[in-house]
Amino acid sequence: MPRADRQTVFLALINVIVLVTGALLAGANFIDSYNLQIMAAQVPELGLLALGVTLAMISGNGGIDLSGIALANLSGIVSFLVVRALVVPGDDPLLFSWTFAGVAIAVGLVGGLLNGIVIAFAGLTPLIATLGTQLLFTGVAVWLTNGSALSLGYIPPLDSFGNLPVLGVPLCFTLFVVVAALIAYILRYTPFGVKLMLLGSNAKAAHYGGIPARRMIVITYTICGILASIAGVVIASRNLSVKWDYGSSYVLIAILIAVLGGVKPEGGYGKVLCVLLAATALQILSSLFNFLGISNFFRDLAWGVLLLALLASARVNFSIWLPSRQ
Amino acid sequence: MKSVKKLAGSALVLSTILAGPALAADEQTITTVVKVTGENWFIRMNEGVDAFNADKEAIDATQIGPAQADAAQQARIIEDLVAKGVSAIAVVPMDPSALEGVLRRAQGRGIKVIAHEGDSIVNADADIEAFDNAAFGTKINEGLAECMGGEGKWTTFVGSLGSLTHNQWVDAGAANAEAKYPGMELVAAKNESFNDANKAYEKAKEILRAYPDIKGFQGSSAIDVIGIGRAIEEAGRSDQTCVFGLGLPKDTGPYLETGAVDRIYFWDPKDAGYVMNVVSEKILNGEEITDGADLGVQGYNSVKVSQGPGKGIIIQGQAWVDVGKENYGEYPF
Repeated sequence: MPRADRQTVFLALINVIVLVTGALLAGANFIDSYNLQIMAAQVPELGLLALGVTLAMISGNGGIDLSGIALANLSGIVSFLVVRALVVPGDDPLLFSWTFAGVAIAVGLVGGLLNGIVIAFAGLTPLIATLGTQLLFTGVAVWLTNGSALSLGYIPPLDSFGNLPVLGVPLCFTLFVVVAALIAYILRYTPFGVKLMLLGSNAKAAHYGGIPARRMIVITYTICGILASIAGVVIASRNLSVKWDYGSSYVLIAILIAVLGGVKPEGGYGKVLCVLLAATALQILSSLFNFLGISNFFRDLAWGVLLLALLASARVNFSIWLPSRQ
Repeated sequence: MKSVKKLAGSALVLSTILAGPALAADEQTITTVVKVTGENWFIRMNEGVDAFNADKEAIDATQIGPAQADAAQQARIIEDLVAKGVSAIAVVPMDPSALEGVLRRAQGRGIKVIAHEGDSIVNADADIEAFDNAAFGTKINEGLAECMGGEGKWTTFVGSLGSLTHNQWVDAGAANAEAKYPGMELVAAKNESFNDANKAYEKAKEILRAYPDIKGFQGSSAIDVIGIGRAIEEAGRSDQTCVFGLGLPKDTGPYLETGAVDRIYFWDPKDAGYVMNVVSEKILNGEEITDGADLGVQGYNSVKVSQGPGKGIIIQGQAWVDVGKENYGEYPF
């Protein structure tokens, strides 16, 4: 089996193992359709941010996006403040929801563009640049809201998007899968994706090969920003409120998911399917611990073990201990 | 691949067989969800939850909370509890508005929701307040004003700007000082400590630098006074400053001894944890809680009941305690 495939299988297997262990330890409630839907609905927030980190990492040159959750919150806040002035949610909730999503994504685009420009043209290390913009986005969000949460009120279409299952699958999860598929397609089948992988694996060679590095970086971080703002819309729809510090623990978890998903932090390699599977595995594990009432500190420990196991599985060749098959 | 599928298949079958008996137990489960685990305040609350669990045979009461103080993590825990199908959720909300959605879904699934320190929550059957928040804030501020001699610069700390009760306390404190003590000047109000003693310490150091003549501090989170006390002790200004606020006797003890912290106010989280479960049980059994009811816990012997912002009620006790250097040892937490 090629290395990449083996990783996909390994991650899928971990999903199954955790799910089965959950059913064994926590009872049938754990694998009934309601809990599966709840878990699915919890994945997109983190999953979308992890996809952003994935893209940033693939682009190489120490690529990373620390500003994701800050931008997600900012998108939700700005969008709500703007749209609240234009549309009365009670009059036309559907129009409100779509405008809200539209404005949020526009904010994400601008934020991502800012990240891209700072990294590509000012030549800052992505780590430092996105740490800076993270503070900037957070600062603006606090300034706009005075630090308190803004309640959107009960807006049926938005609430349905965040929580309602259609054909058994929560809508926000469907959106997440569609977005992930789109990113996977871009990475694999478009010239942009191929160039990005090349740029990530060897920036110098890519430069001499005529790849416009700066433009590539700007586009990549803009996509990261858009992904963050979609996460912002999901967060707003699931909580019906927006706040600057929501999900403050997500920055590191998103990076963890990307690395668990086998994305190379040094750039040039990453598979969207693996990232998706890593996100679901973490989610199932975390829900399981909540089911069993296990301390959330232990969860962090378990994630660490999982990460080490996966890193090891990518480095160590287990097949020498397995019976050979033809 | 084939063997993998087989393995997964047989494991699934096995799991359904084993899961059968787990469903049979029909005792009530009440889960208390706190802001963050591992903090002394909530460790003490856990004692109350455990005590309730020990007192009631038919009820399984436990406490859980996120490892980091993050509203997102707390919402996820509650969602998982809803999926698990507990009978009642007693929650100390990190940020009430971020929980409305998940609490509405909990109630939609027939789960009773009891909140503590969240009287703005719409989707709850009951909210428990240890006391009237404005009166508590005023009480702390009165103590502070007396210590400051009614004049000088003072400032306030909150866990976060989203923590409703913290803001009510410092707002009431500020209103009290403004109305009664014209000599007191509030500077750099509402510093956020994020329920982290180190952050409170850093903030307090900044304030001591910016206002070297500051005389008073009013803290809100249980760790605010600890961080402030440490900064003041290091600056050697214990005698010139007054530090008042919410605090836990054991944690704050060393600072009370040196005089860096002057007086702490609190309610016993153990009692709050116990009383949340008492109210949960009563609501699960369909009992009505009326004005003047006795919940059987110190400070909650004659509660005030009022209508909340939603369909639920707000239950208010008189459960505050304040201690100084001389008597903090009476409280072993």
